[in-house]
Amino acid sequence: MDWQVLLLDIVLMPLLAFIVGLLMVLMMRRVRARLERRIGPPFFQPLYDIIKLYGKDIQISHGFIHDLGIIMVVGGYITVEMFLPVPGFVGLAEKGDLIALAYLMMVPMLGMALGVGQCANPNGSIGISRALTAMLGYDIPFVLVIVAVAAMYGTTSLPEIIAIQQQGGMATWGVATMPVMAVAGLITTHVMLAKEPFETYIAPAEIATGPMVEMGGKFMGGLFVVQTFQVYTAGVLYVTLFLGGGENWLVFLPKIFAVVFIPFAVTIVFPRYKAGEGLLWVWKWPTGIALLGLALILM
Amino acid sequence: MSDKQISIPVAAGTGGSPYAGVFDRLIDFCRARSLFLLHYCTGCGAIELPPAMTSRYDMERLGIQPMATPRQADILLVTGYVATKTLKRIILTYEQMSAPRYVIGICSCTVNGGMYWQSYATVKKLNEYLPVDMYIAGCMPRPEAVITGLQQLMDRIEAGRADAWRDYYRRYDHYLGKQQALFGKHWQTPSDIIGEARQFDLLGPDTLGEHTTLLEQYQQPLEMPSTPVFGHGRDVPEDERS
Repeated sequence: MDWQVLLLDIVLMPLLAFIVGLLMVLMMRRVRARLERRIGPPFFQPLYDIIKLYGKDIQISHGFIHDLGIIMVVGGYITVEMFLPVPGFVGLAEKGDLIALAYLMMVPMLGMALGVGQCANPNGSIGISRALTAMLGYDIPFVLVIVAVAAMYGTTSLPEIIAIQQQGGMATWGVATMPVMAVAGLITTHVMLAKEPFETYIAPAEIATGPMVEMGGKFMGGLFVVQTFQVYTAGVLYVTLFLGGGENWLVFLPKIFAVVFIPFAVTIVFPRYKAGEGLLWVWKWPTGIALLGLALILM
Repeated sequence: MSDKQISIPVAAGTGGSPYAGVFDRLIDFCRARSLFLLHYCTGCGAIELPPAMTSRYDMERLGIQPMATPRQADILLVTGYVATKTLKRIILTYEQMSAPRYVIGICSCTVNGGMYWQSYATVKKLNEYLPVDMYIAGCMPRPEAVITGLQQLMDRIEAGRADAWRDYYRRYDHYLGKQQALFGKHWQTPSDIIGEARQFDLLGPDTLGEHTTLLEQYQQPLEMPSTPVFGHGRDVPEDERS
C-alpha cells in the first residue's frame, strides 16, 4: 500500500507542478502585458506554445549529447518536483531534505551546459558561461538561507519545517521569525528566475537567448516545460521555508502565486546588468543581507 | 529500390474512424494560435512592426511573439527590399528554421521589387527563391494590414493548408536553380535540404535534378573553418569573380 501511494505521489506531483506552472507562466506574461498597457496572451497560450513546439515536423538535433542534455534538464526538474512537498503530497520529501533539493536544482543547469556544448554555437557558449556565473552568484545567498533555515528550525527536512510552522501558527512562520532572511530569500528567488536585471544569460537582443540559441522545436518545448517547473519550484520553496507551506491548496495557491508575482511585477522596470556587475551585486546585497540575517539568528 | 518512384496519391482522410485525425487537428489548432516571429528587418517595413507588437495593436493577444533565432521561430518575416547579398542570409536563415515554417513577404518590394525595380542588386520576386506563404502588399502596410495578413495565415494553418514549406523540399531543384542563377554555381548552404527531404519522407519529383547535381559537384565539406561558405575567405575561381 505504501509504495502505491508513493508511486501515485511521484506521478502526480510533477503533473501538478506543470499545471500550476503553466498558470504561473500565463500570469508572468499577463502581468508584463498589463504593465506595458497591452492585453496579453489568451488563457491557454502557454499550453498552445508547448504543444506547437512538440508538434514540429522537421527539426535538427546536433547529436546525442544535445538530446541527452535536454533530457537531463527536464528530468532534473521532474525529480526536483518529487522532492518538493505540497499539500496532500509528500512524495520523496521524507527521503531527501533541503540539501538534496539544492543539489538537484543544479542538475538542470548542468544538463543545459552539456547540451549546449554540442551545438557549437558561440552565443550558446557565452550564454552557458553566463548562466553558470549567475549560478555561482545566487547559490551563495541560497546556501546561507538553507543554513539559516536549518539553524532556526533545527532540521533540514521540508515536511518537518512545514509541520513546525503550521503547528505554531503565523508567529512561527519564517517570515516572522527571520524577516531579514526572508528578504534575502526573495531577492535570491528573483535572481534564480533570471528576471531583469539578472537575465544576463538569456539576453535576446544581445546573445540571442543564450543557451536556447540552437534549441528549436522539441528542444524548445522541453525548455518551455522547464520554465513552468522553474517558477513553480521557486514559489513553492519560498512558501515552504518562509510562509508556512499550506494546509490545503486553497491556502497554498494564493501564497505561491503572490510570491512569484513580486519578481514578475518588479522585473519590468529594470534594464539588464552586465554578467560581472550582476554577480557583484548578488554577492554584495542579498549575500550581505543574508549574512546579517544569519548573524541575527545565531545571536 | 528502383530508380523510378511510383507515386501513390494518399488522400488525407479519416480512414473511417472519427478519431483518426484528432491529434493532427489539435496540433494544427495549436500551431495557428502560437506563432513565433523572426523578423528579417532590413527594409523600411520594419518600422511598422513595433506598433504592431507593443501596446497599440498588441500581437501577443493573438499568440504571436517575437523570437531571437531561426531555430525557435515559425515565421520568417521579410520586411522590404531584398538585395542579392541579403537573400543569401535569408536563405541560410530559412533553412535553419524547424518545419512547419512560414515565410511572409511584407511591402511591395518583396512582391515585385517595388521602387527598387530598376536596381541591379535587388531581388524582384521573393517567391522565386523561397516558398512564400503570404505577401502583405503596401508601401508600407499599416500594422492593421500586417495583423490581418497574419490572421489569414493563421486561418490557413488551422485548416492545414499552409504547407508551402513542403514545396521547398519537393521542388528543391527549382529553387536551387534560381539561387544558383543569382549566386553562381558555387552556392551552397550549411543545411542539407536533400538529406532532410530523404529523412522526413518529403522527396518529390523535383527534389533532385540538374541543379542539385551541380551542387554536389561543387559542394565542400562543412566542418572546415578555413573555407567559409561565403565571405572573405571563400576561394572563388577567376571566372566567377566579378
